[in-house]
This record gives sequence, structure tokens and C-alpha cells, in this order.
Amino acid sequence: MSSKCDSNYEFGVSVVFGGDRANVEVLGVLDGSNAHLLGEFLNAAIASGSDLVALHLEEFDLEDPIGIQIIAEAAHHLVALGGRLTIHAAQTFLARLTTVDEFRDLVEVQAREQDPEHLGIAQSISSAAMTPRVASLHPEEELRRLIAVPSSRDVVDGVLRLLLGIAQVAIGGADGVSVSLRRQGVLATVAASDQTISAMDANQYRTGEGPCVDASVTGRWFHAESLSSESRWPRFTPAALGLGINAILSLPLLSEDHPVGALNIYSRTESAFGSDDQRLATLFAEEASSILSAAGVDLSDTQSSHQIGRSLQIRRTIAQAEGIIMERRGVSADAAYSELRDHSQRTNQPLREFAASVVDSTQLPKIPTEDRSSGGEHESK
Amino acid sequence: MNQSKSAMLDRYRQEAGLSQGDLFLRYFELGGMATALELEAALFGALLPSMHDREVIAHALNERFVELGGNHPVPYK
Repeated sequence: MSSKCDSNYEFGVSVVFGGDRANVEVLGVLDGSNAHLLGEFLNAAIASGSDLVALHLEEFDLEDPIGIQIIAEAAHHLVALGGRLTIHAAQTFLARLTTVDEFRDLVEVQAREQDPEHLGIAQSISSAAMTPRVASLHPEEELRRLIAVPSSRDVVDGVLRLLLGIAQVAIGGADGVSVSLRRQGVLATVAASDQTISAMDANQYRTGEGPCVDASVTGRWFHAESLSSESRWPRFTPAALGLGINAILSLPLLSEDHPVGALNIYSRTESAFGSDDQRLATLFAEEASSILSAAGVDLSDTQSSHQIGRSLQIRRTIAQAEGIIMERRGVSADAAYSELRDHSQRTNQPLREFAASVVDSTQLPKIPTEDRSSGGEHESK
Repeated sequence: MNQSKSAMLDRYRQEAGLSQGDLFLRYFELGGMATALELEAALFGALLPSMHDREVIAHALNERFVELGGNHPVPYK
């Protein structure tokens, strides 16, 4: 499969996946405005699981040094995963690359036989020709080290949004992509490619059903190949069809093997996701899961400690309300709890809110400050 | 509680779109006394919860169904 992006007529990137290799071809001139696209495509090629990534720069020139840095980072990343990045470019271009520190230790120039398809002076450099500077760890450990971003929710969200952008470009049938994460017990969309996709997610949260909800609860992936013949989600499916969506692929996101959300890929076309797309989507979901696992310390430390504090407060209020009812009615703890629960059931008011009102009812009405002070003045006269 | 009724509890959990962790948090807030593992065992019928715990589990699920616009489909006893 392939995907292509043209930010303007002067710059283009195409990625072609085949077997264990990916060919990334770059045309035009790279400058500050389009440099990030090159990085996204290289990361997509690496994320696809390709061991060999060939970067064709024969028809390409750099105006911004950030391009060299992006290529160097991709080379390091791929070598650390046990793969190899090969760069094909004109001799003068390669000479420029190898004068840069980031490349000097990573690659060596190899004499290359003349390629009949490329009649110009061309050579190639390969990142696997030298021993990588980073000592070889287990690939998974190395990946975790590489993506060990600062553990803040904003940074994790930012990385997930970047991954989402790459997924949308790389997965051929995708018309929209989103990432849902469960936070404080509720699913929410962290990133979505547009408002229609946000609405798709919201419809699933509202109805409590749909492939995104199921994937994030069960930890399994769900594929709705054709929504017009779908029967699993009767409340959600009509809303999806109404928004013009006809196929959905939802893959679970796991943190330390526990489902915490889903990567959702939507298409207006029935049967849009073939086996290649499914395989690629699975790789993206695994990549996102690695990011979430690496950031798991933060999620458990900061978010959960906040949640636990809130939960303990709710629990304490309910226990206080139980005690008040026990004293007022002269009943057992279980009977007092049943009374709270009965009221919640009858009124649809959450039990915690009713418990809070019972606790508040024990407080004497507040006396306005003005009245007390005026009374004092009167007594002093 | 027999096995089939317990398995029903886990089906309600899935219908409510709650992970086991989500349900445990809600159950804990409502005063449940079991551990997360004991709750999971109760959902699948491997452990018999007390009458009180059964009521708390049912209410935690029902409050979620109310959030989703439903009523109280999970029986309390």
C-alpha cells in the first residue's frame, strides 16, 4: 500500500510498504514549513514494522538544517530497533550529510553500483554499516527508552495526536481517526481528525455502545466492515450512518496490558479496511500502547491519586449519611444503606449526592453576620 | 447467587461500557468492602458476595445506566 502527501507543489513524500521494507521517496525542497512532514512519514515507515527503510533523496534538496536532524533521529530510532535506514542521494548531498555530527558516527558511505534507473551520480549510505552508538538492548526496552517522554498528560496527549496524524496519512482507507482514553472512569476523546469524528466518538459515549466503547472495555479489536448490515450496536449505528460513516476499525489501547482506550479509524466507504490496513492499524495501536505504558507511572501517580482522594471523600460522606440515618431511625447499617439506595433508585439522584444532602441537613442554619453584630450593638447599649 | 446470575452481572458491566477497574472505583465509592479481585470473582460467579455487597454492585451498575439515559435494569436482590 502507499500513501502520499503534497504540502505544496515544491515538496512531496510518498511511502510504499512491501514485506519487511518501506520505501520513502522525497521530492522537492524541504524547508521550515514542511520539515515535520518528513519526520511523520519516516516515523510511519518505522512504526509499520519495516526492518529496512530506504530513503530516496535523489530528487530532493535541503534548505533547512532541521531536515538533517529529522533524518538522523529516524536513523537512530531504526537502528535501535534492529532495523536499517538506507539513504539514496546524489554524491554531493551525501557528502553534506556525512559532515554532520549526527550522521558521522551512525553511517558510512558505501560505493554503489550504477543504477540504470538513476543515471546521475548516486551513492547510498546505510545506518547499519556501523555499530550503533547505543548499546543494543532488547528492542522493546529500547523502544520504551526512546519514547520515554516526560510523564505529563499534555505531553502524552501531544504524542498521541502526532501518532494519530501519522495513522491517518498512512492507513489508506481512513477518512478520519481518533484516540479515546478513559480518564477518571469516563471515556473521552483525546484527539480527533475533525468534528465529524469527534461526534462519532461522542455518540458512542452517549449511547454506551459502539466499537470504540467495546474495544476500550474488552481490550479486543472490533471491525464494522459495513454499518448498513451491522446489528451489534443498534443505538449507535443509525447515528454513524447519519454522519456518512460506513466502516469502522477500533483497536484497543493498553497500558501495562490493561485496556485504557481505543484507536478508532473511520471510513465513508464500506469494506475500506483491507488486511494491510488492519495490520498497520494494529501496529499504530501497539505503538500508542507503548507510549501509554511508558507514561503509566504518571497516570497512576497523578491522575489516580487525585481520583482516589475524590473516591475516599465520597465514601466518607456516604458512611456519615448512613450513621445519621441509623441514629435517626434506630436501624442497622445495612438498613440505613438500603434507605439511601432506595431514594437514589426512586429519584435517579446519585447516591453520593443524596448522602451529601443528608449530611448537610444536620447543620444548623447559618445566622447572617450582620444580624449578630447589630444584636451585639443593641445589647451593649 | 448462582453462576448464571453472576455471569449476568458481568454482562451488565459490559453493556454499561465499564471496565472492571471503572466498576471497582464506583463500587468502592458507594461503600463496597471487597477487593478488586474479589469483585471480579463475584462478577463471574467464582465468589458469592454478601447481600449488602450485591446491592452495592447492582447500584454502581444502575447509576451508570442512569447516566446513559436508562433506568435501573440490574435487580438488587
